[in-house]
Amino acid sequence: MVLSVPLDRLQRWMQAVVVHPGSEEEAVAAPEAQFEIPAARVGEVVLPSKTLTPLERVGVYHGMYLLRMRDVLVGDYEALEHFLGADAFTALVRGYVEAYPSRSHSLNRLGDHLPEYVKNAPGVRSRGFCVDLARLELSLEHVFDAPETRALTEAEIGSVPAGAWETARLRTVAAFELLAFKYPVNAYLQSVRDDDHDHPRTRREDTWVAVYRRDYKVWRLDLTRPAHDLLADLAAGVPLGPAVNAALARGGRPSLEEETLFQWFRQWASGGLFQAVETA
Amino acid sequence: MGNRWNLPDLGIGIGLRTVHFGSILGKNPPIDWFEVLSENFMDTGGRPMYILDQITERYPVALHGVSLGIGNTDPLNFEHLRQLKALAARTRAHWVSDHLCWTGILGRNTHDLLPMPYTEAALRHTVARVKAVSDFLERPLVLENPSSYVEFADSTMPEWEFLARLAEEADCALLLDVNNVYVSSFNHDFDPRVYIDAIPPDRVVQYHLAGHTNKGTHIIDTHSDHAIDAVWELYRRAWRRTGATATLYEWDENIPDLEVVHAEALKARAYREEPAAVGA
Repeated sequence: MVLSVPLDRLQRWMQAVVVHPGSEEEAVAAPEAQFEIPAARVGEVVLPSKTLTPLERVGVYHGMYLLRMRDVLVGDYEALEHFLGADAFTALVRGYVEAYPSRSHSLNRLGDHLPEYVKNAPGVRSRGFCVDLARLELSLEHVFDAPETRALTEAEIGSVPAGAWETARLRTVAAFELLAFKYPVNAYLQSVRDDDHDHPRTRREDTWVAVYRRDYKVWRLDLTRPAHDLLADLAAGVPLGPAVNAALARGGRPSLEEETLFQWFRQWASGGLFQAVETA
Repeated sequence: MGNRWNLPDLGIGIGLRTVHFGSILGKNPPIDWFEVLSENFMDTGGRPMYILDQITERYPVALHGVSLGIGNTDPLNFEHLRQLKALAARTRAHWVSDHLCWTGILGRNTHDLLPMPYTEAALRHTVARVKAVSDFLERPLVLENPSSYVEFADSTMPEWEFLARLAEEADCALLLDVNNVYVSSFNHDFDPRVYIDAIPPDRVVQYHLAGHTNKGTHIIDTHSDHAIDAVWELYRRAWRRTGATATLYEWDENIPDLEVVHAEALKARAYREEPAAVGA
């Protein structure tokens, strides 16, 4: 017997089965699949082969779906996968792609909601640490894909009249993100990349990181809190004079000195964090 | 014998993969052309585009997509098509190809090449969409025969007839993947030579060759190995019908060094040097 179904109904059924997080038996028995095609009639829609039943044939697509999603997300979140372990990460992926299925033509955007998902995902140990680690790894992806903007040259910086700096605004390059964490996730990520089995402890510790791209490579720069706050002001468009005054007023221990500020600027400018100086 | 659009025989190329970027730009290997996976370059402004721009300065390219979803029942995504058209212009792509398949429904993308039922209704649906895409892109869409693991009970014609009629009725070009023909012939128990012989030779503008994984009960199109002799023999058979046609080797899992992939691709030379059958 042949059950002929319209193309859209067939596609709704097959998609429901392919993306179902359980086994293929559970998938065809799930309400969303049975709404389109009753489980008992699958054999009237899909032919058996000489070696596979209709369910096993659909199961080829079902099995590959989760593997493909996992492969992509391991590529984006290598340190998170390392921290959680393969089984826990697979469980995380299974729940994640159900909550945030891909709606993009590109797999580059598949992991965009993972940090948000980790906040409430079931069974995640050291949740705060994992959220921060996922945020850092997502930032690397964003910066990798951001549009290219030319970095400010030393000559361009030198050509700004001394009197103009007070009200000048520094515009950061497009491939730049500034992050504040409650855990030392940048150190952890580095230890994973170094294949260092003596990972830093994951206990709570405030840390700050700038992620940026220069010469098409993504870099991570550890910051102190005063440096982070100053860079945040500048990235938000606060003129240089007020931003520096605010940084000095915030102080810090040891107290912030102008020489320290100059060192930061030199490091940030030579690192290619800025694309323009806007003078009034 | 050539194709009806006089699209060029670009020679023997390989799929452009990230792991080979350094070797390509550093060594300028004598590879005839590259096939670029469209979606990998459609929403990134970073290193991938920088690399691609350099490669397209040195080598001819064609675009190959996996997310067009020509068989989808959701409306065509014209934003996706706009980006695709812009990428084709930027890379001076000789043609733009995708697969005869559907990829998702209800706004979702499974990122898989899901099988169509081969019915008159599905044919009418697909013909209309191919015409719309070709009109938008202002060039004939090139469609590839997929590997598949499922056959639908209500199909009224074999895949090769569906593909041939689609090509004629929508006036589109074909990318004949001889490995996919072999994989599907194993999975669905048909004679792959019948498939090859049914394809209108003047519509074939490109060949794909690849390796696969034989699971015993079925074959998965993994692109993870050397092509087996039976696939090369199918290529010989097809080549004798079409004559000079661009040929490309795909390797996507366990990707070896560029030289290994290129050497595998160059095996095609032995088959290309045979004269096409007179009157084919």
